[in-house]
Amino acid sequence: MTREELNLRRLMKEANHTQLNAYTRRHFLKESAMGLGALAFGSLLGSCGSKPNEPKQIVFDPAHPLLPKSPPFLGKAKSVIYLHMAGAPSQLELFDYKPELEKMSGQDCPESLLKGKKFAFITGVPKMLGPQAKFAQHGQSRAWVSDNLPHFSTMVDEVTFLKAVTTDQFNHAPAQLLMHTGSARLGKPSMGSWVTYGLGTENQNLPGFVVLTSGGSFPDAGKSIWGSGFLPSVYQGVQCRSEGDPVLFIKDPNGMERDLRKATIDAINAANEQEYAYYNDPEILSRISQYEMAFRMQVAAPEVMNIDNEPQYIHDMYGTQPGKACFANNVLLARKLVEKGVRFVQLFDWGWDAHGDGPQNSLNIGLKNKCRSTDKPITALLLDLKQRGLLEDTLVVWGGEFGRTPMLENRNGVKSPYNGRDHHTEAFTMWMAGGGIKKGFTYGETDEIGYSAVSGKVEAFDIQATILNQLGFNHEKFTYDFQGRPFRLTDVFGKVIHDIIA
Amino acid sequence: MNIFRNKKLLVVLVVVLTILVAVFAFPHEEPIDFNTQVKPIINKKCISCHGGVKQQGGFSLLFKEEAMAATNSGKPAIIPGNPGDSEFIKRLSAKDPEERMPYKHEPLSEEEIAIFKKWIKQGAKWGNHWAYLPVKEVPIPSEGAEWSQTDVDPFIYEKLKEAKLTPSTEADKATLLRRLSLDLIGMAPPIELAKQYLDGAHPDQDYENLVDTLLASPAFGEKWASMWLDVARYADTKGYESDGERNIWKYRDWVIRAFNEDKPYDEFIKEQIAGDFYVNPTDEQYIATAFHRNTMTNDEGGTSNEEFRVSAVIDRVNTTWEGLLSTTFACVQCHSHPYDPVKHDEYYKFMAYFNNTRDEDLASEYPLLKQYDPVMEGKLGQLTAWLKENVSEAKSRAVYKFLKTGQPTINSTTTDSLRNAVIGNNNIALFFRNNGVARIAAVDLNGVDQMLYHFASKSRGGKMQLHLDSANGPVIGNWAVPGKDGYQIQAVDVTSQQGIHDLYITYQNPTIKGNENVLVSFDWFYFTNQFPGKGKPDYEKQKEIFWTLLQAPASTTPVMVENPSNRLRKTFVFERGAWTSPGKEVEADVPAAFKYAMPKGAPKNRMGLAMWLTDKRNPLLSRTMVNRVWEQLFGTGIVETLEDMGTQGMDPTHRELLDHLSWQFMHDYQWSVKTLIKEMVMSATYRQDSRLSEELKQKDLFNKFYARGPRIRLSAEQLRDQFLSVSMALSPTMYGKGVMPWQPEGIWNSPYNSAKWQNATGEDRYRRAIYTYWKRSAPYPSMINFDGAQRVVCSPRRIRTNTPLQALVTLNDSAYIDLARHFVNRMQDEGGEQVEQQIAKGYEWMMYKPIPKAKLQIFSNLYQTALNDYKAHPDRVDSLLRDDKENGAQRAALLVVANTLFNLDEVVTKN
Repeated sequence: MTREELNLRRLMKEANHTQLNAYTRRHFLKESAMGLGALAFGSLLGSCGSKPNEPKQIVFDPAHPLLPKSPPFLGKAKSVIYLHMAGAPSQLELFDYKPELEKMSGQDCPESLLKGKKFAFITGVPKMLGPQAKFAQHGQSRAWVSDNLPHFSTMVDEVTFLKAVTTDQFNHAPAQLLMHTGSARLGKPSMGSWVTYGLGTENQNLPGFVVLTSGGSFPDAGKSIWGSGFLPSVYQGVQCRSEGDPVLFIKDPNGMERDLRKATIDAINAANEQEYAYYNDPEILSRISQYEMAFRMQVAAPEVMNIDNEPQYIHDMYGTQPGKACFANNVLLARKLVEKGVRFVQLFDWGWDAHGDGPQNSLNIGLKNKCRSTDKPITALLLDLKQRGLLEDTLVVWGGEFGRTPMLENRNGVKSPYNGRDHHTEAFTMWMAGGGIKKGFTYGETDEIGYSAVSGKVEAFDIQATILNQLGFNHEKFTYDFQGRPFRLTDVFGKVIHDIIA
Repeated sequence: MNIFRNKKLLVVLVVVLTILVAVFAFPHEEPIDFNTQVKPIINKKCISCHGGVKQQGGFSLLFKEEAMAATNSGKPAIIPGNPGDSEFIKRLSAKDPEERMPYKHEPLSEEEIAIFKKWIKQGAKWGNHWAYLPVKEVPIPSEGAEWSQTDVDPFIYEKLKEAKLTPSTEADKATLLRRLSLDLIGMAPPIELAKQYLDGAHPDQDYENLVDTLLASPAFGEKWASMWLDVARYADTKGYESDGERNIWKYRDWVIRAFNEDKPYDEFIKEQIAGDFYVNPTDEQYIATAFHRNTMTNDEGGTSNEEFRVSAVIDRVNTTWEGLLSTTFACVQCHSHPYDPVKHDEYYKFMAYFNNTRDEDLASEYPLLKQYDPVMEGKLGQLTAWLKENVSEAKSRAVYKFLKTGQPTINSTTTDSLRNAVIGNNNIALFFRNNGVARIAAVDLNGVDQMLYHFASKSRGGKMQLHLDSANGPVIGNWAVPGKDGYQIQAVDVTSQQGIHDLYITYQNPTIKGNENVLVSFDWFYFTNQFPGKGKPDYEKQKEIFWTLLQAPASTTPVMVENPSNRLRKTFVFERGAWTSPGKEVEADVPAAFKYAMPKGAPKNRMGLAMWLTDKRNPLLSRTMVNRVWEQLFGTGIVETLEDMGTQGMDPTHRELLDHLSWQFMHDYQWSVKTLIKEMVMSATYRQDSRLSEELKQKDLFNKFYARGPRIRLSAEQLRDQFLSVSMALSPTMYGKGVMPWQPEGIWNSPYNSAKWQNATGEDRYRRAIYTYWKRSAPYPSMINFDGAQRVVCSPRRIRTNTPLQALVTLNDSAYIDLARHFVNRMQDEGGEQVEQQIAKGYEWMMYKPIPKAKLQIFSNLYQTALNDYKAHPDRVDSLLRDDKENGAQRAALLVVANTLFNLDEVVTKN
C-alpha cells in the first residue's frame, strides 16, 4: 500500500470514527442504558436560575475540541482584535475633554466627590487637575481627541466611543480580570476562551485564540487573563511572541531540519497506525491527526508571525521595529493573524498606570510616550483592515481596565513632582470599530469634570455581551456547567449595547 | 329484593365498590422511587423556578417541608394521596398557557405527568439523594466467581452480564508491569524489579509481589501526592497581581510522606483541617494545616485585606466541599442550593468554622510556623520543660505557641484612626511619621502587664506612649524607642488594667522637625505579661533563651492558627454572596441534612468540623476518596463528576461497588489508602487487556462497563517522570524547595516582581515533576499543555484533551530533547553493538516487550534517513548534539529516533 493509500484509508477511518464518536457520545448522554444523566460539561442550560429546556447547542468533544463550529446565529463579526492598554490610560488626556476641569485645576477637590469614596492611593483632600493635553474636534463626527493621538484623530469617523464605561474594581488585576473573564477573581475563562470553545478554530493550522504582549511586563492579572478557567485547557489563549519562538515549542530542535521532522512525524504516525490496528482505540487516530496538525502549525505559525516579508510601506505605516517585542509589531501581527482566520487576538500593552510617582508614570512624560508608541500602529491597523476589506467583519476594541481621577494624585498624602491621576472606576472611555459597530458615533456622557457617568453608562458585562452578540452568541444562553451550575461570561449581568450596533 | 331501597346496604355497597375501584384501578402498581424517577424531572423541569434560587408562587420543590407547605394561594400544591386535588398536577396539564407549567416552556410528557400522579397517589414520599445517605454494607453479588480476583469484580461482572458483554482477557505481563508501575509510582519500575517480575514463573504471586513492592516504594508518595495537590491548590506563589513567592513546600512534602506512610485517610484529613487544634501540636500537624493556607494572598497596592481574607475563607469552604466531599457548594454563597438540600444561611454557618483563623491576607503571610535549627529546637524544649515545671503547663504551652507561630499577636495593619500615619499601600505595615497616632482596637488587658512589639526605626530620640481609650487618655505605657537598622522586638511595661479597651499608640521625636518622613514601621503587637517564673532557679538563663529564640532565624511555613477566644470574629450571612452586605449573624454548624454525622459533644470549631468530616456516618468523605482513587487508576470516576456527587452530578456507573469500597475503606481497611489501591489493582477488572473489539466500540466506547482495561494518555507528571526514569537521568533526591527545570525564556513576567526563572543546573534539572516550581500566574508551560491544573482554586478533576500543542511539547521542548540525549547514551552504552539492537532495546525499555518487526523497520529506515542527512551536513550534528561529538552523525541520527520513540502513542499512553 502506498503512503497516499494509507493516508486515504486513515482519513476514511477517522471520518467514520468522528461520526461514530459524535453519535455515540450524544446518544450515550441522552439515553445511556445506565442512566448517566446529563453531561456535566459543555451543555447549554441557561444561566443560574434561568428557565429549563434550553436546547443544547455545544457539545464538547475531547477528541476534536477545536473543530470549527457555527455560532447560534449569524454574527456580523468573524474575529476580534482586543487592544488592552494595561494600567488604565487616562480618558481625560485622550478623549474625554473637560474644559470645566481646567478651570478647577489646582483647587481642593470638593468634599462631595470624596465622601464615602475609596481610592487606591489618594488620601486626604487632593487637588483637582485640568487636562494635561490640548484637545480639538476631528472628522465629520466632530469627536474630541487630544494632541496625544495625532494619527488616531484622523480615524474618528470609523469608531464608536463609549464615554461612560464604569467598573467596580479599582485595582489592576481584579479590574483586568473582570474586563476579560467577567469576574474579578481568578479561575473564570477569558472571553477569548469562551469564543474558541463556542466557535472552534477556523484555521486548523493556527491556534484560535492568540495573545500578544508588549511593554516589558505581562498584564497585572498574569496569564489567567487569557486562561481557560474551568473550560478545558485546550481553549486557553496561546501566547505568540514577536521575540524568541513565536509559539512555545514550535521550533524544531536545533540541527533538525524540516525534511527530517517530516520523516519523524511520518514514522510516528506509521507506528501509530500499527498501534491502532492492534488496540482499535479511536484516540490513536486523534493523536495521528494532532501530529499532522502540529507539523502544519510549525510552518504556518512562524510564517504568519514573521513580519519581515511585509512590504516597506506597511512597516512605515505601522512603525514596526522588526526583531523586537513591541506594540507596533504586535498590531501588525494581529492583522496578519485575523487575515489567516484566527478568531480572537488579544494585545496587552503594559505601562499606562500614570500615577505621577515618577517620570515614566506621569501624564506629561510617560503617558505621552505610551501614546507615541501606540498611536501610529493603531491607526495603521484600522486603515489596513479597511483597505483589505477586513474591517467589516473584524471587531476592534480599545480600552483599559478602569479610568483615572479628575484629581491629582497625592500618594500617602504627599505631593509628587510629577502630575498623575489615581485609579478611577466611575467613568472611562473605550472605543470599538468595525465588526458591525456604528461609525463616527459616541455613546454615553460624563459630568462636566469627567468624574461620573451621566448617560449611556455601560460596564464590562455590557461590552462582553456586545462582543459576543457581534460574533453570533446570545450571552445569556452561552453557558458551561461548573461547580454544579451553568456559568456564563457575563455572570448574571450584561446587556447588549444595541445603540452602538450599525 | 330491591337492594336500592335499603339505604344502609347502598352505602355499604358504594364504600365497597369504591375500595374495589381504588384497588383494581392501579393493579400491581410499582412503587415510584423519588430519587431515580421524580427528582430528575423536578431538577430538569421545575427547580429553576421553584427551588433554591426562585420560589415562584411561593412554591419550592427543594425540601419536603417546602413542597408540602402552603403556597401563595394559601393551600399546599401537593396533597399526598390525592393527585386529583393537587394544584401541582392540575397546573401540569392545564390548557390555558398562562396556567400551564412549566410556564412558557414545553409541557411535560404524558409519562412524566403520570410519574408525578402516581408519586402523589402513593403518598408523595420524599427521598434523600443516595450520596447524602450514610454508606451501608453492600452484599457482594454472586456473579462471575470464576473470573473474580477481588471483591471489585463481582460488581463489575454483574453489570457486564446485564449489558450482554464479557470481560476481556488479562493483559500480557509487559503491559501489566508498565500499567501498574505508572499507576503506583508514576514512572518506570526499577530495572531489577521489572526483570524479576517478567522472569517470574508464578504470574499471580509475582503480580501481587510487584504490587506490594511498588506500594512500598518512596516513589509511590510522589505519584499520589500530585493528585492531592490539585485538590489542595498547592503552588509556590501567592497568586494575584505580583504573584510573589510563598514558602509552603513543606506542605507538599508532608503530603508525599503521608501517602508513603499510608497515614489513615481520616487522620490525613483531620490534621489538614484542624492540626493546630491537637494538644501540643507537632510541627507536622501544623504543616498539615497549610492545606488551607494554599489560598491566594493579594499583595497588590491599594487592595483591601479584609476583602481578600474573606475571599480566602470562602475558598476554604468551597475546597472542603468540592475536594473532600464531592459537592459543589459555591452556588450556595449567593442563594440556597438550586438542586441539593443546602440552604443559603447554611453556607455561612459552615464558613464560620473557617472564619477565625489568624491569617489576614498579609504580605508576610502570618501566621507562620517557625522551625529553628536543631540546637535551637533543643533549647526550646528545655525552655518549655522549665516553664512546665516552674510555672504551669498552660504557660508553657502559650510560650511554645508564641515562639513557634508568633501568635496571638495583633497585626499592625488592623490599626485605625491614624494621624501622621498610614497603612502601607501594599498593606504590609503601619508607618508612623513624627507625631504619629494609631488605635489598636479592643485589646483585652486583663492580666496584661507587658507589650512586645515588632518594629523598625532608625531614628534616635523617639518616644512612644500607650494611651487608654483615647489619644489623649491616661498613659499606661511610656518608653524610649531605640533607633537601629532593621526590625527589632522591644518589650515595654504596661500598667495593669481591667477589661477590654481601645489603645492609642503615639510617637514623638523632638529631635526631628516636621512630619514629612516615615520614622517608624510597625509589624505586630503582643499583649502579655512579664516572662514568668521570677525567683525560680535558672530564671535569667531561661529568659535569655526566650529572647534568643524570639530573634533566632527559622524556616517558615504558613499554617492555620485560631484566633484567641477574646478576639473571635463574628460570621454573618452575606446577602447575595457579597461580603460588603452582611446580614444576620450565624454560628458554626454543618448543613442540617448532614447533621446526623456530627459526633455528640463535638466542639463548634475546626476540630469539631474535622470530627464530622471523618465520622463513619459522613456519607461523602469515603465515597469521594474512593471515587478519586478509582479515577486515577481507571481514567474515569465511578461517578464521572468527581467534583459533584449531588443530584446534578452524573449518576454512578456502579453505585453498589462505590458503596462497597467506601464501606470497606472505612471499616475493614481502617482508612488505608494503600489497601484501597491494592484492592483495585489486584482486581481482574484492572488487569484486563485494553484492546477495543468492534463490539465494544459500538456498545461501550467510553468503557463505562469495564469490559476492557483502562487505556489513558499519561498525565503531565507521568509523562515527564517516565522519560526521566527510562533515560536514567532521574535525580533520586526527594523533597525540598521547588526546582526550575529547563523552561523557555520569557514565561515569567509579572509586574512589580523581579523574580526570574533560573534554569536549574546539575541534578535539579532532572527532579520529578512534582518538585517543579509552580507559579500560579505562569505555570510550567509543558505541564499546562498536558492538562495540568493551574492550582488557583481547587481542581477536583483534570479533563484530558488531545491537541497539537501537546505534540509540540514532546517533539520540541528542549527538556525532552535533553532527555532523548540521555536516552541515546543509554541505548549506545547498554543496547548492544548494532543500531537495530539499540533501537529495539530503547523500545523495550519503555514498553517491556520486544519491538514488532514492522515497527523496527520504520525506525531503522528513519535512522538511515537521519544518518544520511547528518553525514551530508555535519554542522547540523553540532547544533543537535551539543555534547559528545564522537561518531556524531550516528549519535544525532539515533537522537532523532529517540525523539520519535518518545512521541509514540503507546509511549505517551498507559495501555
